[in-house]
Amino acid sequence: MTDRLRITVSGIRGIVPDALDVGTASRFASAFTSYLEEGSLAICRDNRSSSHMLQMAVVSAIIAGGLECTDFGRIPVSFLQFHMSRQRNRFSGGIAVSAGHNPHPWNAVILLNESGYYLESSEGSELFNIYEAESFQKADWNQLGRLKREKFPLEHYLQGIAEVVDKERIRKAGFKVVADPCNGIVSPFLKPLAEFFNLKLIAINDNPEKPFPHPPEPNSENSSQTEAVVKAVEADLGFLFNTDGSRISFVDEKGTALSEELTVPLCLLSLKGRIQKAVTTAATSSWIDWAAQQAGIKILRTKVGQSSVTHAMEISESEAGGEGSGSFAYAPFSPGYDALLALALVLDLLAKQEKHLSQLTEPFPILFQKKIKIPVSADKTYRVMDRLEEVFAKDNPDYTDGVRIKRPGAWFIIRPSSTEFILRIMIEGKNPDIIEDMEEEILERVGL
Amino acid sequence: MRISDLRISISGIRGIVGQSLTPQLIIRFSEAFATYIGGGDIAVASDTRPSAEMVRHAVFSGLLSCGARPINLGILPIPSLQIYTQGKKLDGAISITASHNPIEWNALKLIKKGGAFLNNYEAEELLDLYYQGKFHRISQPEQIKKETMPFYLHEQRILRFVDVEKIKKRRPRVVVDACGGAAVPYVKEFLEKLGAEVVCINCDITGSFPRNPEPSPENLSDLRAAVKTQGADLGFAQDADADRLAVVDELGNPIGEEYTLALAVAYYLTCREKTPVVVNFSTSRVIQDIADRNGVKLHLAKVGEINVSRKMIQTGAKIGGEGNGGIINTDIHTCRDSFIGMALILSYLANSQKSISELTRNLPQYHMLKDKRRASFRDKKRILNRLQQKYQKGRIDRTDGLRIDYPDFWFHVRPSNTEPVMRLIVEAKEVDLAKDIYDKIREQI
Repeated sequence: MTDRLRITVSGIRGIVPDALDVGTASRFASAFTSYLEEGSLAICRDNRSSSHMLQMAVVSAIIAGGLECTDFGRIPVSFLQFHMSRQRNRFSGGIAVSAGHNPHPWNAVILLNESGYYLESSEGSELFNIYEAESFQKADWNQLGRLKREKFPLEHYLQGIAEVVDKERIRKAGFKVVADPCNGIVSPFLKPLAEFFNLKLIAINDNPEKPFPHPPEPNSENSSQTEAVVKAVEADLGFLFNTDGSRISFVDEKGTALSEELTVPLCLLSLKGRIQKAVTTAATSSWIDWAAQQAGIKILRTKVGQSSVTHAMEISESEAGGEGSGSFAYAPFSPGYDALLALALVLDLLAKQEKHLSQLTEPFPILFQKKIKIPVSADKTYRVMDRLEEVFAKDNPDYTDGVRIKRPGAWFIIRPSSTEFILRIMIEGKNPDIIEDMEEEILERVGL
Repeated sequence: MRISDLRISISGIRGIVGQSLTPQLIIRFSEAFATYIGGGDIAVASDTRPSAEMVRHAVFSGLLSCGARPINLGILPIPSLQIYTQGKKLDGAISITASHNPIEWNALKLIKKGGAFLNNYEAEELLDLYYQGKFHRISQPEQIKKETMPFYLHEQRILRFVDVEKIKKRRPRVVVDACGGAAVPYVKEFLEKLGAEVVCINCDITGSFPRNPEPSPENLSDLRAAVKTQGADLGFAQDADADRLAVVDELGNPIGEEYTLALAVAYYLTCREKTPVVVNFSTSRVIQDIADRNGVKLHLAKVGEINVSRKMIQTGAKIGGEGNGGIINTDIHTCRDSFIGMALILSYLANSQKSISELTRNLPQYHMLKDKRRASFRDKKRILNRLQQKYQKGRIDRTDGLRIDYPDFWFHVRPSNTEPVMRLIVEAKEVDLAKDIYDKIREQI
């Protein structure tokens, strides 16, 4: 069931080795190299146990295709995206071996365009043709690409964050924070970040050589350790990253985990007065609408996924974008989801308003969410969705992504995951009863 | 018929970079090898070809994919890799080198526990695995280890085996031509430790070979000139992976690759130990003469290091090799080794107090002519049968292609394991006879 590979233009993702093996990674990298034809690729990887192996397959494919390859080592994809966007004309693309929120033993090979954006579908059909036909560009022995290693300029990155937030204001506040990077690739960068912003850092699960201590999705379900430590050390706040630092969720000063759906609304409040438009997905909480109203920001909705959101940002000239999973991008800073920037924005908001985190979330309307995953076999996903469109045809559905139905006081969305073989259902309502009723109705009508 | 440059055979996988030797193919082959070995410690080393980086990355990813614990030895001669594999009790090794092939080629050579190449049966099993594609892939790969002194074991074995003090006394002046190959990082220091005064030429890694890597006389003009201008006692030339050795005498004349082995065998039998000798079917009769002089038996084996070394173990031979300059001395290892070759020849020099030209002149002289012709696999059998018919009065041996011996000449025709060609070797005492037979056979191919 899970042995099928998820192939999208933004990358390939799957369980190692059943779906994603070194040969597949190498063919995909050869296809991308052939698609680009020339220039130089920037690469990085996370700390998953299969990442080095997959990256070596990628490197071999890149240099065999005759493109230069610059390896920035073990850094979050967001760092690479930031760097590529600041080094215009230097790279023709990027490849990251990194799998943010998926559990072990998943991994992914992610493709970036010349500015560090995730590749988008209109860019990718030619890539697929090359991949399928395996008509790869082959360089002669004296035309092979060169592999260079380069240290990621962390100080530039931190300086980049400081251009978005008021560094001195945050430093003066001297926050005491609890961080749980899930033993992921952000771990080694927490200390420099803490020094930069004068944070008193208490880090847990910050050994990138160790296995993931809990499912890597940052949300209230996985927050119990952080909640306990925040209470024990009386921290100002706590936060969790997914393993590649593209998502973040928070725990307030009382030790209560906040929904990951609050991450983007908090970031928008922090950017109040500085942005006009923001993009989110059809599957994101209405809290974002409330926050956008407070901050005078117009919200556009698109399909789920970094590729869709960041490209919608580009087209609509929106400055910001994000998703209910706790992912946030701010285009003037970087074209990628960046959890460290999201953290800095929330710290900045706290420092500016001189409030506790629980006080910031207090004014939000009361909403309850329920997220359900239903496993579907790989070959049935699209058939199921086809049928669902029919089932809900009379409920005035929104087809931006899957099927989204709005009712008084509640809404729900059913859509196929783009990264795993599951149907994702999200229900949001004003009270738990509405949600329960809705869940019952959905499960009955979906008939799974 | 189209002849592909890609060769997947029992000697490994070999092809031209930019044409047939792709990362995908190398990955699959490495996965097959790691599956065949069953994980374990596998060393990887390469020569100095610019494509080594591309190949190495693919090899490591394939090995990791199937559960191996790879050890990166960097640039290293192939005999040193074989000795390291044995000495460190590893489960296998991959050498990234196309040895004497031109620079656009590259290849994987597969080494098993103990440091020998895979034999026919083992290689067939591996090829079955490769073609079936049923690899034992794992979800949690190991990490790559790095060795910083990969040449140490090899060097120590040789320095302990030969009489360094004796060589030091003679203090021969040596020019060595490493062909910008795998020996470059090690050979100067090695020869100095042996007690020689050393001048290195072609000892830079430049991304291309300074000469054709085959150490045959026509490719040794740099060395010949250097021996003369340096007033050296001799010159050594290695190929890109440093398993083969050629010698230039003190007058600047190449003695011929066949005579590299002849000098080593002559020294070993007269000054070290009288043991049987093994050479391949393409090797000069001079070795037979030397064996006869010393009253030891000579055995012939199929071409290829693995065949010769197996026969050496079976017959108890301690010295032998291949006539193209590949010396095997089992006191060190069963591999072809240019380093032990240099050590034996320098020992001969020190022992005899003669010059290389004198030592060579003392050996019976033969004239050997070699050629290779492109031929498809379909043609090969037909050619051999036709030749056998034509020379049926000689002593016929079909163990390895076709070898036919007459009292005053012999020839050997066989399909190459590494290139889509037929190889022809003719040898006779009389140069005219050699030429005559050579021309006649070439007509037939």
